Amino acid sequence: MENEQAVKTDFTIYFLSEQAITIEFGYEIRQETLKQIRQLDRLIHQKPFPGFKTTVPAYTTLSVFFDPLQVIKNVDFPGHDCFEKVSAYLSQLTNETGDDEINTVKTVTIPVCYGGVFGPDLEEVAHLNNLTVKEVISLHSSAVYEVYMMGFVPGFAYLGGLPALLNTPRKALPRKVIPAGSVGIAGQQTGIYPLETPGGWQLIGRTPLTLFNAEKVPPALLKSGDRIVFKPIDQQEFEQYRD
Amino acid sequence: MQISVIKPGILSTVQDLGRYNYLSQAVPVSGAMDTLSARIANIAIGNHENAAVIEFTYADAVFKAETDILIAYAGDGAIFQADHQNILSERPVFIPAGTIISLIKNPKGSRTYLAVPDGWDVSEILGSRSTYLTAYFGGFKGRQLQAGDILSNRNQSTETAKNILNKLQGDSINYPKWSIARQLFLPDKRSIRVVPAKEFVWFDGRSIVDFLSLPYQLSLRSNRMGYHLEGAVINPLVKKQLLSTAVTPGTIQVTGSGSIIILMADCQTTGGYPRIAQVAAVDLPLCGQLSPGDTVYFKEISRQEAEILYFEREQQLQKLTAAVRYKFC
Repeated sequence: MENEQAVKTDFTIYFLSEQAITIEFGYEIRQETLKQIRQLDRLIHQKPFPGFKTTVPAYTTLSVFFDPLQVIKNVDFPGHDCFEKVSAYLSQLTNETGDDEINTVKTVTIPVCYGGVFGPDLEEVAHLNNLTVKEVISLHSSAVYEVYMMGFVPGFAYLGGLPALLNTPRKALPRKVIPAGSVGIAGQQTGIYPLETPGGWQLIGRTPLTLFNAEKVPPALLKSGDRIVFKPIDQQEFEQYRD
Repeated sequence: MQISVIKPGILSTVQDLGRYNYLSQAVPVSGAMDTLSARIANIAIGNHENAAVIEFTYADAVFKAETDILIAYAGDGAIFQADHQNILSERPVFIPAGTIISLIKNPKGSRTYLAVPDGWDVSEILGSRSTYLTAYFGGFKGRQLQAGDILSNRNQSTETAKNILNKLQGDSINYPKWSIARQLFLPDKRSIRVVPAKEFVWFDGRSIVDFLSLPYQLSLRSNRMGYHLEGAVINPLVKKQLLSTAVTPGTIQVTGSGSIIILMADCQTTGGYPRIAQVAAVDLPLCGQLSPGDTVYFKEISRQEAEILYFEREQQLQKLTAAVRYKFC
């Protein structure tokens, strides 16, 4: 077989709306699946079809948005309707090999001032996990995290890779206001609040970096597939970053 | 052309047809809740359909024409009045400087769109002029309109818009006899056509029958992000967890307690509730006109039918655009 090296796994394609379809690779969060989604995402952006608008990568799915008026005119794609035409294109792309991801993965270092007013729940997280505050900081900042997907609010990244020792349930009572840049833990997840929003995560610190800025292109600091490391900083360094 | 806001009403924002460029970084679509009305207001004065309009929610807003203005408005949230005279909707209207326009309650719906030649002059952010209130960007200074705000139109009017203005301008309010029959697009306002979504088969047969036959009522927990509906509980056939995946305006989710949510313009880009159905694109504008307390029924159609309806709607709108251009060439 000529295409033996191509990534070929079972997938299903389903209707999301008249202007979007979703391709789904199984039902579990797996490294291989995440890689596959990102590869397909890159391929689509390298070879966009007429009418292609944008994609939304998620844990096991890639959704592709398009302009139906342009897609239906495309006689090169087999199919009677837009769903069939875009499905045919995506199915064919899954047979292709893309660039190796290694060349495109970005590692983002996120400075975090742990504890104090920035991380009011740091001691609670330590206590609930039978750890010292120092151990929590050390564990949290020595892991390498991966952006599994973006969602919830602009610029918010769902991160994989939280050490199991740090798994902590959400706050019983959510806070009404959580400042932008707050770093939190909820269950097996850790994340950074890009905007001031209400929320129930355990807050262990804050980053001086701006996670989302609508005036910038791209507007979010993080994207699906990025690797993340947290670097502990003190309050003085925090203020310096702010300046 | 310029207006000043005297009373902003409950929620008035600048919107266009939405922001698609950064869904992958969780930036929502936003845009007009009733895109059909927004497009018709634009078409009526020869604009591109995506020109920025003001979305008024319900009535009570008041604004003043600071200069002569050409407008068109569409939607069922309010009736425009000047000097207690109704200004007719869905057509171009010339309004002389100094006129004060009040939005009077229209019980038929909830949102009304105001277009001016080439759209309202606000910066394009991430490919759209739509306001996204949660993150304070887009539209007019990233916020809802307030008393004292001054808004102007952009100045790249289409030839059609220029011709319309030439024909209508004078010393008093002036408009043509024709209008765009928006009602033709809205056969049954209480029946929302839906396409079964991915997790449709996760729910038990009884619940599916209920969903497609019983009335659902919009609760007070309804806003530009989505509508919570009250009605028959939807029970799962099997308890399964869905990993968060893309959702889009019109997605109907079922919460853990079995109640349903219709996602609307400002919805998140991803969600983890199972999706029972997707509102047909042609009926999503109907949803944009709903208010708390309204009841709706859902009617199942296939994705093929939904797509055919989509193309029919687009064709009708293209014809309208051509007709307006032809009238004023």
